[in-house]
Amino acid sequence: MTALLAIEGLTRRFGGLLAVDNVSFSVSKGEIVGVMGANGAGKTTLFAMIAGNLRPSAGNIIFNGKPIGGLSPDRVNRMGVARTFQIVRPFATLTVLENVATAVMFGSRRITSRGVAEGEAAALLEEVGLLPRAHSLAGELTLAGRKRLEVARALATGPRLLLLDEVLAGLTGAEVAAALDLVRMLHERQGLTIVIIEHVMRALMRLSHRIVVLHHGRKIAEGAPDEITADPAVIEAYFGRRRHVAAAS
Amino acid sequence: MTDMAQSTRALTPAVPLARGIGVAAVLGVLAAAPLFISQYGLSVGLNLFMTIALAESWLILSGLTGYISLGHAVFFGLGAYIMAVCFDAVPFWAAIPLGGIAAAMLALVLGFPALNVRGPYFVILTFGLAELVKFVVVTIESAVGNFGRIMIDVPDITVLYELMFGLAAAAFALVALVQRSRFGAALRAIREDESAAETIGINVRFAKVAAFVLSAIIPGMVGAVMAMRSAYFEPMVAFSPMVSFTIVTTAMIGGSDAPMGPVLGAVLLVGASELLWAHAPEVYNILLGVVLIVFVLRVPEGLYGRVVAWLARHQQRQAL
Repeated sequence: MTALLAIEGLTRRFGGLLAVDNVSFSVSKGEIVGVMGANGAGKTTLFAMIAGNLRPSAGNIIFNGKPIGGLSPDRVNRMGVARTFQIVRPFATLTVLENVATAVMFGSRRITSRGVAEGEAAALLEEVGLLPRAHSLAGELTLAGRKRLEVARALATGPRLLLLDEVLAGLTGAEVAAALDLVRMLHERQGLTIVIIEHVMRALMRLSHRIVVLHHGRKIAEGAPDEITADPAVIEAYFGRRRHVAAAS
Repeated sequence: MTDMAQSTRALTPAVPLARGIGVAAVLGVLAAAPLFISQYGLSVGLNLFMTIALAESWLILSGLTGYISLGHAVFFGLGAYIMAVCFDAVPFWAAIPLGGIAAAMLALVLGFPALNVRGPYFVILTFGLAELVKFVVVTIESAVGNFGRIMIDVPDITVLYELMFGLAAAAFALVALVQRSRFGAALRAIREDESAAETIGINVRFAKVAAFVLSAIIPGMVGAVMAMRSAYFEPMVAFSPMVSFTIVTTAMIGGSDAPMGPVLGAVLLVGASELLWAHAPEVYNILLGVVLIVFVLRVPEGLYGRVVAWLARHQQRQAL
């Protein structure tokens, strides 16, 4: 399999703090890779660098054979990388449909007709189960609804790689199950490559083909879910301390 | 469902043809107004269309992107300056677009640095930049030994009225167009959340500067026409921050998300000013301040937004 995304020696410093420290891994086409780690492990910083929101201090990000490190977020998105935000960022006073239609008109597809864009947006909303709320203001949705909208808007840009940042956090048990089904369906239906950050451990284990574990900015393990749960470094860093796990969940 | 959503966006009568005829009739009557109204009526009309043209233009930047400009007087003043300088050299109909081009170029130059800051900083920066340009012009004018420029043989008020009417109509049409376009969707996304807008592939820097430039052109042309109206150019007057304040107030009162907003605001403000100016000018300014405060606090969506929301609720109730 060819690598759609290759991260090489990626580093980000904030003053004296190494938020991400020399991290390398790659993601193959069609794969779901989970990124795991406690709060402050550098997961969101990693995403922000891939999506162009943050400039790497060092290292390379190769997407689809092209270096994208340090490009602006809009350019990275147009090349086929979409992300969701951990703290959702809907266009609050626009309707749910307008939120998604705007993304259809930009992103990598750049459809210029508003009518066509709205049609495609409606189809996407149907897929994520938000069609009945299409004409509500985005700010009026529940948290679960806003998380779905975040996913729909990212998908609307026509990505080849989808970065999901804690789409399950803050959801109830039933909502988590529904959201998991959604991610799985998207992966199967559209052949999307997905990198997912998640705190809900069981979900990450069930969903991912491969897991990368970050700890204090460094990659300490990488492998299939069952390998990760058996990895002594992971157990020590992550599962070993009960207080740490409790604080993370 | 879809119909309801649309009616919350704009007051659209059901039949497009009837709507077209209605719009054409209104435009025809307004354009023919010099045939049947007095000089005084024309001067009020000129004032009204000036306010509409300025507030509509401002809306393209500030209403759609949320970057509130408190410095649009600078484009008005620059247009007036271009007209005053060019008046003896080129015909006035050529000097008007020159005013628009100069304003667009100034917006391009100011836009790149200014649009890097957001919120209150942008408001203060635009105000400061406008004052800066004003004093640069004051300095230039006194250096060349001018204390005001007089324009002799300016066009008749009927001509100025028609020009201003054209500018107001153009500004209205521009807003209506932008608002429905893909570009307009990008500007709204920027207003809602700039980081999210970037993340869905919108080149926010380009979009913001383009909106700024687009919102400067017509005010430059309006300034050029108004310079002929007073037949006199004095930088402290032409670049007066009162112009910026009036623009913001008009848009705030009317509502700043749809082209009808500034029209409502302008009718209200110019109407109140005509009623009060002659007898109690100080009351007018107090009233302006009070109305602005009330609208910012209680009716942030503006009159037009309030009416649209009320109609939508009304329709919903009837549908049930």
